[in-house]
Amino acid sequence: MTNTTSEFRLEMSGISKNFGIVSVLKNVNLNVKHGEIHALLGENGAGKSTLIKILSGVHQKDAGQVLLNGELINPKNTHDGQVLGINVVYQELSLVNDLSVAENIYLHKLGASKFWMDWKQINADAQALLDSLGFDIDATAKVRDLSIVQKQLVEIAKALSEDTKILVLDEPTTVFDPTDTQKLFDNLYRLKEKGISIIYISHHLEEIFKIADTVTVLRDGINTGSRPVKEVDTDDVIQLMIGRELKDLYPSRNLELSEAPVFEVKNLTAQDTFVHDVSFSVKAGEVLGIAGLGGSGRTETVKLIFGADKKKSGEIILNGKEIKTNSPADAVGYEIGLVSENRKEEGVFLPLSIQHNISVTDFKAISGKSGFIHKEKENKNVRSLIKKLNIKTPSSETPVKNLSGGNQQKVALAKWLSIDSKVILIDEPTRGVDVGAKVEIYHLINEVAKKGVGVIVISSDMPEIMGIADRILVMQEGTIYGELSKDEFSEENILRYAIGKPLKN
Amino acid sequence: MASTEKTQQSSPTGLLHFLIKYNTIFIFVLLVIFSAFISDVFFTSVNLSNLLKQVSGIGIVSIGMLIVILTGGIDLSVGSMVALLAVAFAMFINIFALPLAVLMTIIIGFGLGSVSGYLVAYQKIAPFIATLALMTIARGMAFIYSKGSPVTFETYGGLHMSNFANNSTLGIPNIAIVFLLIVGLTAVMLRYNVFSRIIIAIGSNEEASRLSGIKVNKYKFLVYAISGALAAIAAIVVASRTNLGSPNMGMAWELDAIAAVVIGGASLNGGKGSAINTLMGVLILGLIGNILNLLNVPSYPQQVVKGGIIIFAVLLQRFENK
Repeated sequence: MTNTTSEFRLEMSGISKNFGIVSVLKNVNLNVKHGEIHALLGENGAGKSTLIKILSGVHQKDAGQVLLNGELINPKNTHDGQVLGINVVYQELSLVNDLSVAENIYLHKLGASKFWMDWKQINADAQALLDSLGFDIDATAKVRDLSIVQKQLVEIAKALSEDTKILVLDEPTTVFDPTDTQKLFDNLYRLKEKGISIIYISHHLEEIFKIADTVTVLRDGINTGSRPVKEVDTDDVIQLMIGRELKDLYPSRNLELSEAPVFEVKNLTAQDTFVHDVSFSVKAGEVLGIAGLGGSGRTETVKLIFGADKKKSGEIILNGKEIKTNSPADAVGYEIGLVSENRKEEGVFLPLSIQHNISVTDFKAISGKSGFIHKEKENKNVRSLIKKLNIKTPSSETPVKNLSGGNQQKVALAKWLSIDSKVILIDEPTRGVDVGAKVEIYHLINEVAKKGVGVIVISSDMPEIMGIADRILVMQEGTIYGELSKDEFSEENILRYAIGKPLKN
Repeated sequence: MASTEKTQQSSPTGLLHFLIKYNTIFIFVLLVIFSAFISDVFFTSVNLSNLLKQVSGIGIVSIGMLIVILTGGIDLSVGSMVALLAVAFAMFINIFALPLAVLMTIIIGFGLGSVSGYLVAYQKIAPFIATLALMTIARGMAFIYSKGSPVTFETYGGLHMSNFANNSTLGIPNIAIVFLLIVGLTAVMLRYNVFSRIIIAIGSNEEASRLSGIKVNKYKFLVYAISGALAAIAAIVVASRTNLGSPNMGMAWELDAIAAVVIGGASLNGGKGSAINTLMGVLILGLIGNILNLLNVPSYPQQVVKGGIIIFAVLLQRFENK
């Protein structure tokens, strides 16, 4: 045993793990101090998840040792891990929507002690826990009725209902807008002060620089180094992650816009959502950004345009002619595409092949009147798109669920490129996508725009939207509050419009 | 971060892998060999052609069930529809010319299926509930129109329907030919036609289908209508064998059809299944009945064995998914 006065709470050393013949972790070290926020970075597939799963007991390591407070531990399952004080909040929330906040927090304990439930006690305990963490959430509320941020906070509260020593957060801010992220950070600082060690996984590098003390980067299952955050900058970290220097995160825009707009929306108002009086236009070749806080109506707006939600009034004009998009099928008929923010549920068909996924918008082109598919035509089209988008896959028959997030996103985009869309609406182009694939997607958007497609991009990632858009509309409470031209781009300006304030001079 | 470190299973190699992949066919072959050993009569043409005749009706219904299940739905009404449509066919053939009677029966089947389809696709009623209602309605109507007893038909223009139904062409019973044609046609459609791509997409992810511009409601409506039309063909087949349409026909066929589709490896969540495997599922269920009959096992234990086979088949498919 090592001495118990080590400066580190957690010492993972020499960790190796193989799945079959694939070596996922090779001799990885991870040391986390008391009351430290430790960022764990790496591209998808770098081994972050596996390392965390070994820590929490989901997977068993093949070699190496894990010391917690100087004592050797070897959790065999997540329950062992929890007993030791290791709690993980995964990216996919695991709350039960139909139960209350309190029930969710104590779900693992419900019924463990007594036959009868003491609801008063459970609710009071949960409320006390939430209050102590500074989370403004009612313990008796149904989880279904909470916002996504509140749900995330409930997950964290649940993790902390145990005597937690190490809290692991896996991409906690994926669905957050900047104000939500700040709220989460305030709460994390508080936890840190209590001496809890936090391992923080994120693709948002700017977050790391805001919140983390130390950063560890994994690449291809190897630890490429742990450093204090103060000593590194974004470029260093990206270089460590992808193993090469990244010259241009965002492509340089070469603006050649059409005179007349390719696509216009006038006074669009929704029937069932709060989106109202939305007007804007996009020129061919332009990338139009839509920013705003979560819940400002951005997603609802593009769904309205696409015909997925019902319209009450307003006009949609494509190439100077008014069109009616009463259903997504109508929109697709006019060659308008939508890449949904919710990739797994709305964007791709996980169990189906890449081929099937891409062809789904394009059956008319690859089949005759009889409906029989021209296999060769299809293969050719799919293969060229796989190549063009650099989708990393062994074959076009591979189920999409076997691809990484970035490659899945490329498939979701590919189906709209397959039909030569005139307008593409992209909702959160790089959510859950690693840096390498992000850059590829940015360049792809750039290329698509160059071809004269009107591209409308929604993003909560402010550096991203400023990096790729030529113009940004900022939404607030269901309508467009303001427009920023390229020379007005700044996080502050976006935020001011997003909360309904005019710009400073 | 989505964990992309794929959990590599130590994948079974060689023969075992092959058997797991083609588990339905494997079970079928195993049963055939077993049957041949255990009974001298099994491999006689009389027995085999009887077996094919017995499964043809349920088989046709199972193909309709498969198409519905591919979209993630279910059609509980098929058994009752067979009863109602067999009664209807018997009544029609006593009045109209044969082709007209056949056509009218199929149109009514399509129409009744359309009712389920309308309720599911446009009224958003859960398929289980909508088709449960249709199941009760169709059975009730079968009894009403037949006044509770079988409707018989003797001849049509000198042609005995039962002759056609019980005769064979090239050694294969005529009604089995109808069944196998439907299987073949469906297999070709499912492999090469856009229709199958669309219904599989719907079964795999309905919302993503809608947002890809697929007219989801239209296709959901259609699959129930097709299932109804296939129930009509099954009804004509079974009615022809016995020269009567009885309101008691097709009892619990919906359950056998679901069992056949599931043994054939389809997922009740939709998006996965094949016509050939469904044919295997139908044959496996038929074989079990056949061999147990040959062994003089009474019908109650037969049901127990059938249930056991369903569990075994589904457990085996779990390996396949890994």
